Amino acid sequence: MNLRVVGANLVVSLKSFYREKTAMFFTTMFPILLILVFGTIFMDDDKLHFNLYLQDLDQTDASAEIAEALAATGKLNIITVDPAVDAAKSTEDSKANLVLVIPKGYQESFMQYLQFGDPNAFVTLSYVYDPSSSSVVEKMQLLDGVFAAINQRLSAKPPFIRTTEVSIHTRKYRFLEFFIPGIIAMAIMTESLFGTVHVNTELRQKGIIRKLATTPITRADWILANILHQFILAVISTTLMLLVSYAVFGIQLDINAWLPLFIVLAVFSFVGIGMVLTRIVKEAQSASAAANAIMFPMMFLSGSFFPLEMMPDFLQSFAKTLPLYYLNEGLRAAMVVNDSVTALHNAAVIGAFAAVVFILGLVVTQWEEGA
Amino acid sequence: MGNETEYAIEVEHLSKRYGGDLAVNNISFKVRKGEVFALLGPNGAGKTTTVEIIETIRRPTSGKVRLLGMDVTRKKYDIVRRIGVLPQGFSSFDRITVRETMEYYSRLFGHSHTDIDELIALVNLTDKTGEQYTTLSGGLKQRLGIAIALVNDPEVVFLDEPTTGLDPRARRQVWDVLLGLKKKGKTVFLTTHYMEEAELLADTVAIISKGSAIAMGSPDQLIEGNADYLLLTLQSVDPRALEIIAQMGFTPEQDNRAILVRVAQTDDIRKILNAIEDGGASFLSMDVRKPNLEQVFLKLTGEALHQDTVGEQGAQ
Ligand SMILES: Nc1ncnc2c1ncn2[C@@H]1O[C@H](COP(=O)(O)OP(=O)(O)O)[C@@H](O)[C@H]1O
Ligand SMILES: [Mg+2]
Repeated sequence: MNLRVVGANLVVSLKSFYREKTAMFFTTMFPILLILVFGTIFMDDDKLHFNLYLQDLDQTDASAEIAEALAATGKLNIITVDPAVDAAKSTEDSKANLVLVIPKGYQESFMQYLQFGDPNAFVTLSYVYDPSSSSVVEKMQLLDGVFAAINQRLSAKPPFIRTTEVSIHTRKYRFLEFFIPGIIAMAIMTESLFGTVHVNTELRQKGIIRKLATTPITRADWILANILHQFILAVISTTLMLLVSYAVFGIQLDINAWLPLFIVLAVFSFVGIGMVLTRIVKEAQSASAAANAIMFPMMFLSGSFFPLEMMPDFLQSFAKTLPLYYLNEGLRAAMVVNDSVTALHNAAVIGAFAAVVFILGLVVTQWEEGA
Repeated sequence: MGNETEYAIEVEHLSKRYGGDLAVNNISFKVRKGEVFALLGPNGAGKTTTVEIIETIRRPTSGKVRLLGMDVTRKKYDIVRRIGVLPQGFSSFDRITVRETMEYYSRLFGHSHTDIDELIALVNLTDKTGEQYTTLSGGLKQRLGIAIALVNDPEVVFLDEPTTGLDPRARRQVWDVLLGLKKKGKTVFLTTHYMEEAELLADTVAIISKGSAIAMGSPDQLIEGNADYLLLTLQSVDPRALEIIAQMGFTPEQDNRAILVRVAQTDDIRKILNAIEDGGASFLSMDVRKPNLEQVFLKLTGEALHQDTVGEQGAQ
């Protein structure tokens, strides 16, 4: 191992990357474009419809008036939820991000308030909502406005209609906050795997590797320089993605020591896969095709873009054989829910994978002819 | 360090097998320090295989190869520091400039004192130092490759087909650089399938065909030893001369307005010229040549040195 040699290689590879403007643009900007596009889509997910799921447990004339008042805003499309089902489950199942629950005894309280003039009578409506949805906050604000108007009409002091928020998750987070760690993982995978395969097959095809074999550089120097190169790219692109996400969407993710750890493990894993592929596939073009053939299914089957729970069981089990799955889960555990136990578990799995595949890559990477 | 000898390279009974195919078959030769040695042979003869075994990047199947007294299969890291290599079909990092490329290779060797500008000047690339590799023409790329091969001030320089694929002008410019190296007294190991290249540059030529070395010596020795005839060419000659020469028992060939005759000795030339004069025929000019290495090669192997000669001349 010779640091001067490693440094010289790093300089050459970073310069080559930087000067290849289109390639640089696509590798660093593509994930950011994904974030911007998906972020915008999820921000707007049902602004247009504003479906309101309404569960009326009271089933009285008075409670029906609430529904009418809500419909009268013209902004809400009321969908009734069977009083027999659990609102939280319904929120999850129906992809409704919010179910408004009118409690049993609403009419009774209303009568008491109206007829007996009991100023202390009130009723509490529940917002059962999914905090991962980006539009739910706006929807609640809209509902708050409607109820404030009703209260004003009733000149109720203290207000007759009160609301309470029941989250179906323990912590408020938005879909984007779930999405971004997946994109970070995907970006590191594409850069490390594709970068390794592309650069190595191209240099071999051009005979540069053969030339290097007649200099004092060792395989270890070369591989270390490649790892550092990929690590630097991964750090730059992760930083850019996080900055854009903060600036544009104001996401809140935990940035802690897990992030660099997962980046390191990811770089080793995917550079390792890249080295193995480079050995198997000789031509630069077929090597790129092979890299894509590995990466694309992995992106869709590892839950990079959407929660795995949406997929059939056998695909979910299959996902657990993919390194990207553990990277996704680990990054989400670390950055979204700050769950160190789950993060550690996933880090251990991907760490073991990285060790195996990287050593395999080292063994099969050849500079000189074998026999 | 191994025992130093007067030889830079010693190859003894070298063979190399790829699967069942014998690419190099029991070759032996020695290269003296300070000489330019050329391995001359057609495509597929085993030149690259041989040179890459000496450069430590391929393993011999059998035989012994020593470079500067060191066994090439054991002393790779000592050897690579003392040699410079221009591989066949040399190429470099597309987006890296001439100067940066030189600095890169210089760092690989840890030669911080290398005078990069001097090397760049040696190969006439001074006005291209800031250009990226990808923008250079083929001849400039080869010259950069030669400069890189010199970056560690090597004792032995290997050049595997340094001018293949270049146009005649670029080829002559590379030759100029190589003549400069020769003048400096570097030991140069050259492979080529261009006879003129070997003839112009080499002190010693080994002719290799189908993996075997079939002749070795200086270009002159090879021609002397294998050319038992002289070639007489008469320009703008009277057609009657053809008949006169044929009657003397020679087999003249007509080539446009020239006549070519193979003769065994200089005495024959005098006889022919006299006969033409006596017959009242005339000619504008004449010359007598020994056959060149190309013809020696053809005679020795029955195969042509390269098939691309016609195409290249056509491109001229
Ligand atoms: N890596 C290899 N594997 C198998 N056969 C090879 C390999 N390299 C060269 N050969 C074969 O060995 C013979 C000699 O090749 P080479 O040394 O490249 O010749 P030259 O350099 O004179 O053109 C050719 O028949 C070639 O096909
Ligand atoms: Mg060759």
